[in-house]
Amino acid sequence: MTPGPLQRAGAPGATDPEPSRTSRWRRRLPWSPGRIVVAYGLLATLWVALSDRAMEALAGGRAGATLQTAKGIVFVAVTSAMLYALIGRHERGLRTRGAEIRATIESMADAVLVVDTHARIVEVNQAAAELLRVGSRTELLQPLAEWGQRFQLRYLDGSPVPLERFATIRALAGERVPAYDAIVRAADGRDVFLSVTASPVRVPGGRTELAVAVLRDVSAARRLDELRDEFLSTAAHEFKTPLAVIKAYAQLLQKRDPAEAEALVVIQRQVDRLNRLVQHLLDTTRLRLDGGRDGQLQRFDLGALADEVIQRMRASAPGHDITVSWVAAPVHADRDRIARVITSLVDNAIRFSPAGGPVSAQVDARDGEAIFSIEDHGLGIPAERQARIFERFYRAHAGTPHDYGGLGLGLDMSREIVARHRGRMWFESTPGTGSTFHFSVPLAEGAL
Amino acid sequence: MTARSVLVVEDDPDLLALLEMILQDAGHRVRTAPEGGAALARVAEEMPGTILLDMRMPGMNGWDFAREFRDRYGHACPIVVVTAAENARARAEEIGAEGWLSKPFEIEDVLATVARHLASAPSAG
Repeated sequence: MTPGPLQRAGAPGATDPEPSRTSRWRRRLPWSPGRIVVAYGLLATLWVALSDRAMEALAGGRAGATLQTAKGIVFVAVTSAMLYALIGRHERGLRTRGAEIRATIESMADAVLVVDTHARIVEVNQAAAELLRVGSRTELLQPLAEWGQRFQLRYLDGSPVPLERFATIRALAGERVPAYDAIVRAADGRDVFLSVTASPVRVPGGRTELAVAVLRDVSAARRLDELRDEFLSTAAHEFKTPLAVIKAYAQLLQKRDPAEAEALVVIQRQVDRLNRLVQHLLDTTRLRLDGGRDGQLQRFDLGALADEVIQRMRASAPGHDITVSWVAAPVHADRDRIARVITSLVDNAIRFSPAGGPVSAQVDARDGEAIFSIEDHGLGIPAERQARIFERFYRAHAGTPHDYGGLGLGLDMSREIVARHRGRMWFESTPGTGSTFHFSVPLAEGAL
Repeated sequence: MTARSVLVVEDDPDLLALLEMILQDAGHRVRTAPEGGAALARVAEEMPGTILLDMRMPGMNGWDFAREFRDRYGHACPIVVVTAAENARARAEEIGAEGWLSKPFEIEDVLATVARHLASAPSAG
């Protein structure tokens, strides 16, 4: 019988992590090879030093050759028996340990793949076979590249994960791989959403001999996310017909009875506001539901777009002095979506500088990137909340006297849009002084 | 010769009544249908000069109505999509409609759009 992969994985020197003092595996094997040799050396020295004298005493000073031979045989027999007992004990220990490691991997609810330095999968657990819907787990013991092709490992946007970006390959290179999301196509043709992590397995010398990947099936959570987004999208959509009716009747009444114009204008303004919120919700949820599908890419100038968006927004912020300066920055991008990012950032700058004052926007082109920046002199973001501002539904000023409303979707949506354009988004903020937000998108090819 | 009518296809009775009222106020002859099937029946009785078409409706929805209409009558009459979709223009292009109105709309926009399409409608016959 060929040794199973786990026996290989459990063989000494291959996976022995340095066990902590409290590890039960350590306690099971109290005799290290060094200790055994030292004990054996002590015993043998005692024997050599004392046995001849004992013999002399027994044989009255004239030890016969027969007695000497018998003494030698007894020595060999005793040491052989000791060695046999020790080796047997060690082996039992290793076998138990291998079985325990196997049972540990086996008991994990998440799929586990163990990959060696030749990028071959050398061990998997039953959960992996179930996740990938294969009949036998031995089917999965194959080169990682073939595995990736067979199960079409890809990012959420559908692009294949290149072999050098596989979690286990990165782990073998010594990297500790943070969880990332991916999709595989199981053997039954169904797509499974995964959260993938991997860590290197180091031998006592510090070398990395194996990597362990853990694949967690997050399809259910993902479906829930999609359901939520679909619900929000439908709900937002359904709001629009009543909004249309209210707004149109308000307009109609205003025309027929100009005396009530003041109240009717307020109704229309509030309908517009509600509509913007609903639109915002729709935008964000649609962006998610559309997944990685590309928007409509076209070539345009980021500076000109920023100028256009800001011109349009000036009217709604009479208390602010919004300036924009820009250089030519041609980009190849989804114009509508980039306009939404700018709108959202300008809207934040206005909302969070309630005292009014200057808001300056700038568009630059440098190092192959078009960069939009907007600086306000408003509230700034409290330091302890800065880390979370890109989270969906997170509102840094919620529950404070500076809660100026909003759905907590703008930055989350903006960052997602920018990321899809292979751009970056970042900010600086000092509480009480103001914030500056930036985003970049690559300059269009052929741009200077 | 009577002016060509505007056919409003909309499932929300309040919105339907409102569109009917503002179009009539502007001097148009208006006919209505609550969904696509009824709208096809109206078209069979008389070819309108412009169709205002809601997309999400019970019964025959806007997509199916547009397809059916094109199959039977080609571009005999312009279709204006009235939609809550975030990109009304894309929705219009999707079904080959001539125009679009986003919900919520401005009354002035409705009147201007209808007037423009009525003027450009191919003559009946």
